Amino acid sequence: MGNKSILVVGGGISGLTAAIEASEVGYEVFIIEKNPYLGGRVAQMNQYFPKLCPPNCGLEINFRRIKSNPRIRFLTLAEVTGVSGQEGDFEVKVKIHPRYVNENCTACGKCVEVCPEERKNTFNYGLDKTRAIYLPHLFAFPMKYVIDAAACSKCNKCVEVCPVNAVDLNMEPKEMTLRVGSIIWATGWNPYDASRIGYYGFGQYQNVINNVMLERLAASNGPTQGKILRPSDGKPVERVAFVQCAGSRDENHLPYCSGVCCLASLKQATYVLERNPDAQVYIYFIDIRALGKFEDFYAKVKDNANIHLIKGKAGDITEDPATKDLIVVVEDQETQKLMKEKFDLVVLATGMAPATREVKAPADLVYDENGFVVGGAPGIYSAGCVSRPMDVASCVEDATAAALKAIQSTVGR
Amino acid sequence: MVTVNPHFAKKLQKFGAKTASECFSCGTCTAVCPLVTDEAQFPRRFMRYVQLGLEEKIKHSIEPWLCYYCGDCQKNCPRKADPGELMMSLRRYLTSVYDWTGLSRKLYTSMAWKVLSVGLLFFATLAVVYSFSGEMVTERVELETFAPAHIVHSVGYVFGAVLAFLLLSNVYRMYRFVMGPYAAGIPLSVYIQELGTLIVHFATQARMRLCTNKSRWLRHFLIMSGYFVAFMLVNIDVVTRWSLTNEPPMWWHPGKLLWSYASIAMLYATTEAIIGRLSKKEPIHQYSHSTDWMFLILLWFTVFTGLLMRIFMELGMPLPTYHTFALHLAFTVPLLGLEVPFTKWSHLAYRPFALYFLRLRERALEMQRSKGEISQVGVSG
Repeated sequence: MGNKSILVVGGGISGLTAAIEASEVGYEVFIIEKNPYLGGRVAQMNQYFPKLCPPNCGLEINFRRIKSNPRIRFLTLAEVTGVSGQEGDFEVKVKIHPRYVNENCTACGKCVEVCPEERKNTFNYGLDKTRAIYLPHLFAFPMKYVIDAAACSKCNKCVEVCPVNAVDLNMEPKEMTLRVGSIIWATGWNPYDASRIGYYGFGQYQNVINNVMLERLAASNGPTQGKILRPSDGKPVERVAFVQCAGSRDENHLPYCSGVCCLASLKQATYVLERNPDAQVYIYFIDIRALGKFEDFYAKVKDNANIHLIKGKAGDITEDPATKDLIVVVEDQETQKLMKEKFDLVVLATGMAPATREVKAPADLVYDENGFVVGGAPGIYSAGCVSRPMDVASCVEDATAAALKAIQSTVGR
Repeated sequence: MVTVNPHFAKKLQKFGAKTASECFSCGTCTAVCPLVTDEAQFPRRFMRYVQLGLEEKIKHSIEPWLCYYCGDCQKNCPRKADPGELMMSLRRYLTSVYDWTGLSRKLYTSMAWKVLSVGLLFFATLAVVYSFSGEMVTERVELETFAPAHIVHSVGYVFGAVLAFLLLSNVYRMYRFVMGPYAAGIPLSVYIQELGTLIVHFATQARMRLCTNKSRWLRHFLIMSGYFVAFMLVNIDVVTRWSLTNEPPMWWHPGKLLWSYASIAMLYATTEAIIGRLSKKEPIHQYSHSTDWMFLILLWFTVFTGLLMRIFMELGMPLPTYHTFALHLAFTVPLLGLEVPFTKWSHLAYRPFALYFLRLRERALEMQRSKGEISQVGVSG
């Protein structure tokens, strides 16, 4: 008789959905998440489609379902290091990195006040800093602090100040083995590394950011408390350019269309105008791909007099070193003029690269030429953006389907 | 009415444009091009014209001649559609359109025509040289005795006149194509006033300096100036007798120094172009049409045999001097005869004339506009 439990790798919206759906029909589920919190990329959004909800709205209910469900167990700061065995009887090796903060933590925050070291805030894509001991974000689940070992100088101040003895600087990495019947691989995606597109100056010019960074700038729990300010001088933005297909549909980068970036930019254009109704937004595109019923959203945004949709891909971005303003050159194909416009902020609409693009998973999976998972050994299924680029709603559907496949796989034996 | 040739893209493939259908019209190429203006935009627009089969529109376009193939357009093309190479192919195509003899099209599109034409002119020249040559003096170098100056020079002038007629008649056809309706009503004085544009660009290729990579202009100028110096020396030789002579002047003679400059400049730049096309490092050298090789090989051997002949002459080696001279002529005749009026080298005329015609067009528009204003004044008055 085979093992009936299911392993879900990745605790983003897809992994959470698959895990909850499978557990709520009676299966034992393990979630392995590499971050110190659950929620993945969705947690980092300001608002997401289809209803433009803030992420805590959709994630909170999932966290509550996890809390009230004894059949789900999750491990944060954990990664799968090896999978052996076969459908119905997998042996999975898991490595758990030390959090240095134990179950006692009440998230009182006294440790942060005394911590002398700083680290880049990865949750905010490096737009600000946190102390070496930090809460991943305001709505983090589990609501527990964590120490970045690379930044910590082991000064012991947090240990001394903690009123509940929650800090333990001597924690060691742990290894464990799980035995499961089937596996769902839902490790998600990364924004395409825009610094590879040399002529757009990302990583070189401070005011060239990517679309996921703008989500953080617009989020009330972000580095600027939701004000959209220029990274170089903190000035509110007046003129913003969105560069579509930054690295997408490009044989030199990602040859495919991620299908979400056009809507993301249209949505983000509304963020800019909500905060500054006089701002001017330019969206440079090859084609606007607002798929399915989202055509309506496109039509609505298009009619805004302050949003200018320009057919023509940005050819080059340069910086005025004195003002840190950016100059975008583009061929406006409608007016047939060459445009050279100045902007406070340029947002690169980068596409989705599967997490398995750079580093392949330690499991028997099959990939396409771009690193997306297209299949795997019997009993291993992929869900969400590791399979193809998709929006949150599609991820939820895809993850539910994956949960059913994983269940069928264990029932079949 | 716009006529469409649905087979145009296919036709253009023979001229070197193999990837035009890849383009999805994003405009990256046009945005980064240092040579485009609001009035003259390319390459994206021309990629589109080719895809749509707008052959007639392209025939009457001046823009392909305004592109100097810097290659910036090609570096970041998301479709790897090679817009710079498309513009190059359009120049080849237009050269064949301007040529009324039809030989240009044959040379561009048929390998057999290329090989046969070059071979025919090469061997015919050798045959003529050896049938009409004089005595081969072996005691000392007497080049003029071997190749009597009165024959070589008069045949040369007739050959030159034929080439000039062919090229200029093609330039006239270019004028008809690109000026079209603009030509009407431009007074002769304007043609004369704008001649400066023609002369400056013919002599300097200044527009190429707008390209991001400036070193290319220098290399090109070496070929161009070397060729110009050689051309002048050959033409005045009937009077000066610096080259075709039994009494070679001393090494410090200005005629010899000029010949040395011409040979070395052309040999250096041609060799570098050949290496570039083999290594394919720069965008402009990534793709080579068979006519590009034909041009480079003929030019290289022409210059090389010319230089070698003068070295043999200097060393006092009579027979090698005569035979190398014969070979030199055998390379020169197909080089000039096929390249100048029909293929690559014709751009020495088409490029400056394109800028000249562009100025004429602008003047025509200015005149139309001021006329319009006058008539408006007339109406309101």
